[in-house]
Amino acid sequence: MKKVVEGSHAVSEAVRLARADVISAYPITPQTHIVELLSEYCSDGTLNAKFLRVESEHSAMAALIGAASAGVRTFTATSSQGLALMHELLHWAAGARLPIVMAEVNRALAPGWNIWTEQTDSLAQRDTGWIQLYCEDAQEALDTTLQAFRLAETVYLPVMVVLDAFFLSHTYEPVDIPEQEEADRFLPPFKPAFQLDTQNPSAFNQLAPPNVYMEMRRSLQDAMESALDVLDTIEDDYEKLFGRRYGAVEAVQCDDADIILVTSGTVTSTSRLVLRQLREKGEKVGLLKMKAFRPFPFEALRKHTAHAKKLAVIDRNFSFGAGGIFAQEIRSALCNLARRPLVFGYVAGLGGRDVTTDVIEDIYWRTKTSAHPEGESIWIGLHQPAPAA
Amino acid sequence: MTEQMLSPIVPTPLIPRSFTTTESNKTGSWRFLKPRYDEKTAPCSAACPAGEDIARVEMLVAQGLFKEAWETILQENPFPAVCGRVCFHPCEGVCNRKEFDDAIAIHTLERFVADTAMRYGIQPDIARRPVQGPRVAVVGSGPSGLAAAYFLARLGYTCDVFEAKSEPGGILRWGIPLYRLPVNVLEWEIGRIRSLGVEIHCNHRVSSDFLRDAGDRYQAVFIGCGHHRNVDLGIPGENLDGVEEGLPFLERVRAGERPDLSGAVAIIGGGNTAVDVSRCALRLGAKPVIVYRRRRQDMPAFEHEIEMALEEGVELMELWAPLEIAPHADGYRLVLQKMEVAAEEGPRAQVRPVPGETREMVVSKVLKAIGNAAEEAWMEPPEGDGKLLRLANTALVRRDDGPVLVYGGDLAALEKSVAHAVASGKEAAMALDTYFQDGWDAIESKVSACRVGQGPSLSMEMYLGGERCRRNPHVVAFQEINTDYFLFSPRLAQPRLLKEERIQGFSEIDLKISAALALREAERCFNCGICNQCDNCRLFCPDLAVCRDDNPQGRRINYDYCKGCGVCVVECPRNAMALEQD
Amino acid sequence: MELDVLDRDYMCSGHVGCPGCGAAIAMRFLLKALGEKTMMVIPACCWSIIAGPHPQSTLKVPVLHTAFETGGAVASGIRAALDAKGDTETTVVTWAGDGGTFDIGFQALSGAVERNEDFIYVCYDNEAYMNTGVQRSSSTPYGAWTTTTPGQEWKRLRKKNIVEALVAHRIPYAATASIAFPEDLVRKVKKAKGIKGSRFLHIYASCPTGWRIPSEMAIKIARMAVQTNIFPLYEVENGVRYTINYMPKGYLVREYFKLQGRFKHLTDNDLEQIQEMVNEDWELLLRKAGVSMSAAGTVA
Repeated sequence: MKKVVEGSHAVSEAVRLARADVISAYPITPQTHIVELLSEYCSDGTLNAKFLRVESEHSAMAALIGAASAGVRTFTATSSQGLALMHELLHWAAGARLPIVMAEVNRALAPGWNIWTEQTDSLAQRDTGWIQLYCEDAQEALDTTLQAFRLAETVYLPVMVVLDAFFLSHTYEPVDIPEQEEADRFLPPFKPAFQLDTQNPSAFNQLAPPNVYMEMRRSLQDAMESALDVLDTIEDDYEKLFGRRYGAVEAVQCDDADIILVTSGTVTSTSRLVLRQLREKGEKVGLLKMKAFRPFPFEALRKHTAHAKKLAVIDRNFSFGAGGIFAQEIRSALCNLARRPLVFGYVAGLGGRDVTTDVIEDIYWRTKTSAHPEGESIWIGLHQPAPAA
Repeated sequence: MTEQMLSPIVPTPLIPRSFTTTESNKTGSWRFLKPRYDEKTAPCSAACPAGEDIARVEMLVAQGLFKEAWETILQENPFPAVCGRVCFHPCEGVCNRKEFDDAIAIHTLERFVADTAMRYGIQPDIARRPVQGPRVAVVGSGPSGLAAAYFLARLGYTCDVFEAKSEPGGILRWGIPLYRLPVNVLEWEIGRIRSLGVEIHCNHRVSSDFLRDAGDRYQAVFIGCGHHRNVDLGIPGENLDGVEEGLPFLERVRAGERPDLSGAVAIIGGGNTAVDVSRCALRLGAKPVIVYRRRRQDMPAFEHEIEMALEEGVELMELWAPLEIAPHADGYRLVLQKMEVAAEEGPRAQVRPVPGETREMVVSKVLKAIGNAAEEAWMEPPEGDGKLLRLANTALVRRDDGPVLVYGGDLAALEKSVAHAVASGKEAAMALDTYFQDGWDAIESKVSACRVGQGPSLSMEMYLGGERCRRNPHVVAFQEINTDYFLFSPRLAQPRLLKEERIQGFSEIDLKISAALALREAERCFNCGICNQCDNCRLFCPDLAVCRDDNPQGRRINYDYCKGCGVCVVECPRNAMALEQD
Repeated sequence: MELDVLDRDYMCSGHVGCPGCGAAIAMRFLLKALGEKTMMVIPACCWSIIAGPHPQSTLKVPVLHTAFETGGAVASGIRAALDAKGDTETTVVTWAGDGGTFDIGFQALSGAVERNEDFIYVCYDNEAYMNTGVQRSSSTPYGAWTTTTPGQEWKRLRKKNIVEALVAHRIPYAATASIAFPEDLVRKVKKAKGIKGSRFLHIYASCPTGWRIPSEMAIKIARMAVQTNIFPLYEVENGVRYTINYMPKGYLVREYFKLQGRFKHLTDNDLEQIQEMVNEDWELLLRKAGVSMSAAGTVA
């Protein structure tokens, strides 16, 4: 059923369809709409879930760690400062191999207070052991959220479904919302491989000395490594039922491209427009949308960029002292290849600044006209600083 | 959708998850101090001349196991019903509970368990050895003789008791007034001794010839005929008609005579006989006055007996010594010399006359009770004999031409008391058994191995290799009791006849107590040094290293896990555990 | 103690608590009273270690070890999951130390009890961060040495009154208990188990290692804390109904202090001052319980 809904609510609908058992959240803009709707669904009986209105994001994640350990399907949503507060428990959830699903609405970190979109918050959590999937539009947000539960419950890793603040979270789009029956066929009830059980009492997460810790870490990595194949298979099923699939990456006209724009999130949609215009002008340009960031889609990236001369990576995020985070990861993924494209790292749209078609086109031309990148990262659209008073 | 898709395609995650317990960690290896069960000696039991296992008796009473409590006493003393009435109970004087609130009413509880057995006609189950060769003659059926016969019979020896008087019991029958010891109680106790096969031959006075000839039939002779010769005052008039000795007076009264007394009657002396005589005289209509040359606190009589006598109306004249007894129209004129304390040495003060201070009093009767001695020389252990072995409450003589002689009871005991007489009989039985089994030279060491605490009390249970052997002789001090586990609780007040009722006749003064009162009183007992299964050790062990077990202790320490923290030892309310270097 | 409680244990030997560990004793008593239908949350504390390393567990009930400050929240989540599954039988219990309760976990605890989550939160209080080597917490009492209040820098601040903080949330049940009073402790756990909503138990658990006391004194010291009114035994229902479970017998606080190495630097003046503080707290408690001072035999 097609419905015009806000991006946030597309996520809420997916959680409803997933029949989450326990939801726990703390308010933060621009995530709040997701859980507001879920709260409503819980109170009016549309969704038979326990909604915990906890006193912090930290406790939201802690509560889900408890609930998931007790063997039920769990969901939370957060953003920015909230995600940063959760940081410790992100490690915990992944290390405990709990299939928690979280919607994370990308928002810049303070100070100064900034509620607008930027990916640094989620990317800063890249080493926590969470799967991270970046969405481009409301439909994808819904589909990815629904898939995330099955992915998480298959590989026993938590999944972060990431969407841009406002550009996606607060934007209304027509979305095809599956029927419950169909959703149920896609996502069976969660049957945990382990859980707190008074009949079979075990202690979980206890002291893990050096003789066992490393194997546990390796097991987590094995799960990460399997996740892309699992996602592929899940998407097969999803496509059969709903006719949509996304892939860990999406390559648009990359096969003959000299320059490939590499994007994530809503910048991708804008880039699609730029791509069309440039192709019309005869430019040999392609577009690579990075959906999966963790696990990192090494193979797909290498395959789709094998013939390109240059990659123009657009990062709406930054790692101070290094560079745009996607660009860094892409460079490291390619560096051992005998033949590899030059990687241009562009930083744009921090703190919610608009990344328009002009910005993207500018990036393309700069890439085309430069023999080499003029630096580790190229900041686009910086204003001249105002003179000090 | 394929089946494969529904099941996880990755193996079960390797997570920190337990699948075994911590029991493979043998934390006992951490230990450098080691707790163990170490039952110790209660002060009461060490103070009891008969060595009764009082702490255990009270534990059994508190558990309602009255028969077992009674049997526990019978291990060490054939006369619980008698001693529960007449013993001077030194046990209570050293009771650790005294430091907390009040001593346990041990005396009353002893009587309670014995009376309960008597009331229900219960037979004790006490182990007895099969009858074996040697035979022993016992001269005198007083408490020491009967105790000797009792313990010897339990050890498998055939005993013949010879009693000069018409009925057995000695001082118990003839010297203790009925208001302290009813005769049926005594007979019940003696009956139980007889039931062990002990033959008591009454009206059978033994002479010194007996010792010479006894070798034909007996391998040993126990001489326990007590002190029956009266000691003279050494003053003019003491042999006047009607001036009577205390013990024969008590015997007359006990035999049923009720001489008609009136007016002031002087009783000279300060021992238990003097007090008993005065109280009998009171009951016969007199106004008794005890005349004593020292002070009340110097009187050898038991304090509580003096107190009761005074309460009943007996008068006490302290520091007056008789100088002369003369006839008087209304009876006798008694001349008294005032005394004063010269020195506070020894158990009794030294006194001397106050020059020129005398007084006279007229009394209707004079009763002398200043002490007694053995009737004949052969009844006393020979001095300086090379073959004489003196133990705490007996003296043994080994002869080349006749049976071994054992002098016991008042003839050899530390003190003249029923409890000491029992101690003496027990010591004799142990000594003779050792002599018969292991020879003369083994006696001292084997007997002293049965000491309760530091002695001199002895335990027959220990002699027989019972559980009590494992007790540490250390006597538990009050500071070693964990008083946190006890609440203040008033001591049982012994119910008694009113003094107005008492002096009307010879009815027993101390009344029975109910089982409920006995239980409550026994629960007050600290059970010093012995395990009463309170389970604190098991409850508080942080390492679950104290387990139930079938052993007599009921529990054991699992040293695989015990870290030696010592909590069990400190939380043992009664110091029945020890912590030592591992 | 009733035999059924005495004889059942949901804890094994071989745990790695220090000799004389009060927290181990407390856990034993708690589980005796709770029984097998219990799920336990253990945030970082001594018990994270005591319970044993992977693959061991010394407890015979399911345990979720979790991050330091999450005791209130994780238990909320487990309870929610059990509710979602229709399991009304199982009791969810958080077992946290004083650091995880008074300090870092206070927010999650306050949040959980404000929501009146249906669980029992137990703080076993050994009055400092013992697992990390004796650092002061807001539970460390006035006068105590710790490695972060060394020498003349001994703690000159009062211990946070955690029970009163919880009582202020008007939770259905809050109580103190001590390892030296097992019957009282077990009774309170059983009572708590029978109540719906947030229940808080503050269990005094002596720490021989951190308090510098001989291990065999673990129970004795805990008992003295009660006898001296330093740690009164009481319970509060619905934030208003106070019941004092133990009336003092006139012990002075110095008797408790002088036995412990952590207080050995205190002078007679300090001890007098502490006695006054203890009296003040006790009188305050008496007022709340509506007990007159003379009836309670307050130490002058």
